[in-house]
Amino acid sequence: MSTQKEKDRLELLQGTLDLLILRTLIFGPQHGQGIGRAIQQTTKDVLLVEHGALYPALQRLEERGWIAAEWGTSANNRKARFYRLTPAGRKQLVKETTKWRRLAAAIGRVLGPEAGEG
Amino acid sequence: MFGRKRKHSDFKAEIEAHLELETERFKEQGLSEEEARMAARRAFGNVTRAEERFYESGRWLWWDHLLQDLRFGLRMLRKNPGFTLVAVLTLALGIGANTAIFSLLNVIMLRELPVQSPKQLLLFGKGRAGGSDGQFASTELYSYPFYRGMRQKNQAFSDVSAILSLLFTKMHGAVGGSAELEPMDVQLVAGNYFSFLGVKAILGRSFTQAEDEPASGHPVAMASYAWWDRRFARDPAAIGKTVTLGSTVYTIIGVTPPGFFGTTVGESPDLWIPLSMEKQVSPGWNGLDDNAFQSLYILGRLKQGVSAGQAQANVNLLARQIWQDQAGATLTKRQQEDLAHAQIELTSAARGLSRIRFRASMPLQILMAVVGLVLLIACANIANLSLARGTAREREIAVRMSLGAGRARLIRQMLTENLLLALSGGAVGVVLAWWAGGGLLAMIPHGPEPLPLDVAPDARVLGFTFIVSLVTALFCGMAPALRATRITLGNSLKEGRGRISAASRTPLAKALIVSQVALSLVLLIGAGLFLRTLVNLASVNTGFNKENVLLFGIDPPAVGYKEDLRLVNLYQQIEQRVSALPGVRADSISFFTFDEGEWTGSVSVLGRTPTPEDDMIVTNNVVGPGYFATLGISLLLGRSFGPQDTANSPKVAVINETFAKWYLPGGSPIGRHFGLGGDPAHSNDIEVVGVVKNAKYQDLRERPFPAAYYPYTQHVQYLNDFEVRYTGSPEAIIPEVRQAIRQVDRSLPVAYSGTLMQQVNRSMEGQSLIARLSTFFGVLAAFLACIGIYGLTSYGVTRRTNEIGIRMALGADGSGVLWMVMRESLTLVALGVAIGIPVALAAARLVSVVLYGLTAADPTTLTLAALLMIAVAALAGYLPARRAAKVDPMVALRYE
Repeated sequence: MSTQKEKDRLELLQGTLDLLILRTLIFGPQHGQGIGRAIQQTTKDVLLVEHGALYPALQRLEERGWIAAEWGTSANNRKARFYRLTPAGRKQLVKETTKWRRLAAAIGRVLGPEAGEG
Repeated sequence: MFGRKRKHSDFKAEIEAHLELETERFKEQGLSEEEARMAARRAFGNVTRAEERFYESGRWLWWDHLLQDLRFGLRMLRKNPGFTLVAVLTLALGIGANTAIFSLLNVIMLRELPVQSPKQLLLFGKGRAGGSDGQFASTELYSYPFYRGMRQKNQAFSDVSAILSLLFTKMHGAVGGSAELEPMDVQLVAGNYFSFLGVKAILGRSFTQAEDEPASGHPVAMASYAWWDRRFARDPAAIGKTVTLGSTVYTIIGVTPPGFFGTTVGESPDLWIPLSMEKQVSPGWNGLDDNAFQSLYILGRLKQGVSAGQAQANVNLLARQIWQDQAGATLTKRQQEDLAHAQIELTSAARGLSRIRFRASMPLQILMAVVGLVLLIACANIANLSLARGTAREREIAVRMSLGAGRARLIRQMLTENLLLALSGGAVGVVLAWWAGGGLLAMIPHGPEPLPLDVAPDARVLGFTFIVSLVTALFCGMAPALRATRITLGNSLKEGRGRISAASRTPLAKALIVSQVALSLVLLIGAGLFLRTLVNLASVNTGFNKENVLLFGIDPPAVGYKEDLRLVNLYQQIEQRVSALPGVRADSISFFTFDEGEWTGSVSVLGRTPTPEDDMIVTNNVVGPGYFATLGISLLLGRSFGPQDTANSPKVAVINETFAKWYLPGGSPIGRHFGLGGDPAHSNDIEVVGVVKNAKYQDLRERPFPAAYYPYTQHVQYLNDFEVRYTGSPEAIIPEVRQAIRQVDRSLPVAYSGTLMQQVNRSMEGQSLIARLSTFFGVLAAFLACIGIYGLTSYGVTRRTNEIGIRMALGADGSGVLWMVMRESLTLVALGVAIGIPVALAAARLVSVVLYGLTAADPTTLTLAALLMIAVAALAGYLPARRAAKVDPMVALRYE
C-alpha cells in the first residue's frame, strides 16, 4: 500500500538527515538555517535538504535528548534558535557514523571497484 | 507524552527566523527584497506541512481523533433524536436480554464460591445424587466412617471435609425458648467444614474440629447472615441465643459472612449444625457409625503440588482398602463386583455443588442462543437504519471527502457513532437485565420460592456486556460505513438534496432483510416447538387427578414424636378428623406425592434375583389407606389398604401395572409375594393385595416405571405429606383442615404448601421458562424484521413515486402497482423463509432433548411458523404498497 512505501522512504531519509545534523553540530552550536546551509555546502549541493523537513527533524532529535536548543543572536544580529550537541548526541553520532561507514563499505564491496566510466 | 515542553508559537517563531535569515542571505547575493523572500519560501517548502508535522509529533494523535469523533458522534446522535432513540432501545433490548441470561448463566454455572482458593476444592463424585445410597461402595455418596478413614489416611489433600447430601428444609424449631415454632433450613456439616473452606465467622466463632466428637456432644449452630438479618435484625446479642429442634437445644455460636450460602448453589441453609448431632437432628438415623448409610458429600482441598490425577489415584487406592475393611473377610459375589466397578471420579468443586446446574444448564444454553439470535437481528436492524441514514448523509460524506477526509478516518468516525449507540444500549441493557434478573430467577425450575442466588451483575457480567456492545457496534456499523464511504464524489455532489443514488444501497439492505427473516423464522419455529412441548406436557396423562387436591406439610419429629405406634395413631387421627370435614372427599398421609424426591430400591421375586443388567429397581411410597382415592389413582385389581393391615398382620403392598408386567408376569399378581432389598436371602414377605394404574412419579416426561406402595402401619416412619381431595372452595377448607389437625395435636407444625396442580405445574417451570421467553423473543424478532421490511419497501416507494406515476398515467391500475411493490418484499421474505427452514431444522435437532411429544422437524410447527412469518412480513410490505397504489399520477409526475 502507498502509505507503507511512504513510511519506508521517510525512515531512510530520517536516519540520514539525523546523522548529517549531528555531524554538522560537532563544530559548535548552530541555528537551523546555518545547519541547512552547511549540509548543502559540505556535500557540494549533492544533498539538497528541504528546509521544511529540517525543523521537524531537529525537533525530534531534541526530544530524544541528542541536541539541546536555546534562543540566541546570529552573526548578523538576528534572533535565532541555536542547537548544540549533548553528550548523548555525541555518543549517538559515533554510533551512527560507525554504522554508516560499515554500511557504505559493505555496499561498496558488493558493487565492486568503480567500473571504467571515464 | 501528554503535555509538550515547547509551544507551537515558539516553533513558528523559529521558522520565521529561518525565513528571515534566508532572505538576508539571498539579498546579499543581490536579489531584491521581494525575490529574496520568495526564494527563501521556495527553499523551505511547505511551511504548513512542517508545522503540522511538529504538531503531530509526540502526541497521541488517535486520542485526539477519538475525542473529535466522540464529540462529532454525540452531535450527530443529538441531531437525530428519533433514530437515536429507536437504535438505543433496540440495542438495549438485545444487549439487555443477553446480559440477563448471561448473569443467570454466570451465577449458576460460572461463579466461584466465595471461599479461600476455590480452585483447590475437589468433590468426590459428580454431585448428581442426593439422599442416601445403600449400595455397597457408592462412588457418589459416602458413609461417615468412610469420610473419617479418607480424612486420616489420604496423602493428596491438605484437608478433607464432609456435608450431608441433603438439606433439612423447613424443620420446625423454636428460637430463644419461645413456644412458637418457625420453619428453618438446616445443613449438617463436619466440624472442620468452615476452617476447611476458609470461611470465618463475622460474629462469634465457627465450628472447630472438636465439634466432631463425641457424637451428640455439641449442640451448637452457626447462623447464616440472611437468617441472622431476618430473625435477629443483625443484633450481635444473637450469639448465645438458643434454637430448639425436636428435643435438643442448640446454642448459636457464630454468624457466617453475607456472601456465603454454603457449598451447594441454589440452597441457602439458615443454620449449620455439626454432623455429630445427626441423631438428634434426624432421629432414627444412625449415620455416624453405619457403613451402609452413605449420605455424605466429601470435599478435598488439594495439597500444593499434587495434581488432580494423582489425587484421584490415591483416593481410589485408599477407598478400595476402606471398603474392603468395611465388608470384612468375606465379600459376597455382588460386593466383589461392586468393588471392581467402583471408581471415584474427582470433580472440581470451585463453583460449588449444584443439582440446579444439571437441571438449568440446558434451558440456559438454549436461552443464551435465543438471545444471541435476537441481538443479531437487532444488529441487522440498526445496520439497515444506518444504511438508510448513510444514504441520507451521502452528500455530507461527499463534502467531507472532497475536503480531504480520508476514507479510513470517515469509517472510524461512523464506527465511533455506532459504538456510542451500542454502549448506550448496553448501559440501558444492564439496567434492564438487573431489573429482569429477579423475575428470571423466579422462573428457574426450583421450588415454591425463588432460588437464593445473587444475580446482581458482577465484573464478569459487566465485562461480557461491554464486549457484546463492542462486537455489536462493529456488526451494525462496519457494512454501512464501508458502503457509505464508497461513493463517487462527482455524482453525489451533483445530485440534488432529495435525490440519492439509492440503487447502490439496496443489495446490502436486501441481504440484511433476508437474514433477518431467516433468523426470526428460526426463533419462531423454536418458540413453536417449545410451546407445543409445553402443551403436550400439560396434557400428559399423569395417572392421577391433579385437580381439587390440597397439599399440607406436617413435621412430627419437631414436636418429639418417635417412629413408633404413637406416630401411627397421629396419622390415623389426622386422617379421620379431616375426612369428617364437610367438603373433604378423601385424605391421606404419604411419603411423597409428585416430584418430591424418591425412595427407590431393588426388589426380589421368587425365582428371580436382581443382576447388574436387571436391577429390579422400583420406586416406593408409604401411604395411608385413602391415598389412591385422594390422588384419584384408579385401582385395577384387588383392594387398597384398610384397617385389616396392621403392624401385626401379614405385610402387604399395592403395586402398579408396570411392576406387575415386569416382575410378576403371567397370571394375576394378587396374592403373590416379593421382597424388599436386593438380597435374595431376604424373605419374600410382602404380599401384593392390589394393582393400580401407572402414574407419573418424578417427572411428566418419565416412562412407565415400576412402583410399590406400602401402608404406614407396616412401615412406621416420619411422613411429611398430607393431601386432601376437596369440593367447593379451598379458601374455606384450608383453615378448617388446620383447625382439625390442631385438635389432634396443638403443637404439631402444619404448613399449607399449595395445590397438587401447582406442584405439577412447577415441574414444568423450566419448560415454561423456555417457551415463554422464546415466544417473547421470537415475536420481538419478527417485529424487528417487519420494521426492516416496512422501512425498505416504504423507502423504495418514495423513491419510485415518479416511476409509479408514469406507470399509472400509462394505464397501470392500482392493484397492478400494489402487486409490483409487494412482489419485491415477498421475494425477500420467501428467500428468508427458504434459508430459515433448513437452519431451524438443524438448530432444532440440538434442542430435541427438551422437546416432548413431537420431533424436532414437526411439520405442523414448521408450517405454522413459516405462514405466520410470511403473513406478518406481507403485512409489513402491504402498508407501503397500498400507499403506492394510491399514488395520484398527476401529483407524482409533478413531483420534483
